[in-house]
Amino acid sequence: MLTELLTEDTIQLANFVNTWQEAIHLAASPLLKHNKIEERYIESMIHSIEKHGPYVVITPKVAIPHARHTEGVNELAMSLLSLQKPVLFGPEKPVFLIIVLAATDSASHLQALVDLTKILQEPNQIDSIIACQHKDDIIKEIQQIVAKE
Amino acid sequence: MKILVVCGNGLGSSFIMELNVKKALTELGKVAEVTHTDLASAKAEKADIYIGAEDIVNQLGEERGHIVSIVNMMSISEIKSKLKPLL
Repeated sequence: MLTELLTEDTIQLANFVNTWQEAIHLAASPLLKHNKIEERYIESMIHSIEKHGPYVVITPKVAIPHARHTEGVNELAMSLLSLQKPVLFGPEKPVFLIIVLAATDSASHLQALVDLTKILQEPNQIDSIIACQHKDDIIKEIQQIVAKE
Repeated sequence: MKILVVCGNGLGSSFIMELNVKKALTELGKVAEVTHTDLASAKAEKADIYIGAEDIVNQLGEERGHIVSIVNMMSISEIKSKLKPLL
């Protein structure tokens, strides 16, 4: 499931961004381009963090920004932005990987989240993805981790 | 025993954390009802333990059951060590 969502089209690499807001805009841009989400979903994800704090930094180095599906999700989707230099989501919250979640309902994205959990539970797997210099390598890395068990 | 996992939107981070809380309980050999919800609903829902990211659970307010704030939501060992004294 996760490997169907994180593809050549939805994975991006960048050297650095100036702010966490810019990181979310950039990370979500493939979803906007392919009409999976509307512009207001991006604003909603940013608003959610401004309101509740950087709770989307689910584990060191990784943020999973998301908002309610009623805020402009057209289709279940995910995108990933990998940064060479971290951006701060809060004091002492440096983030290298931004994974945007866009769910159409709370049930449909569960398998993808189960797969994502598999990746994020091991800090060394997170580091291997951050170390990737090409989209293909990230895709291979994710395929290998998800196929494990 | 009911454990409520709380996040800002009730999907995404709270679902991932629900998986991890269940895993932590299994490793501790404990049984509890675990569900997840958003902050607004959590304020109206009764549970024995409320667990979530620090930014979120701090907004739950007073007069609650136990409130557990987690720094690393992917860390089973952190979840285990914070839940253990409450089970």
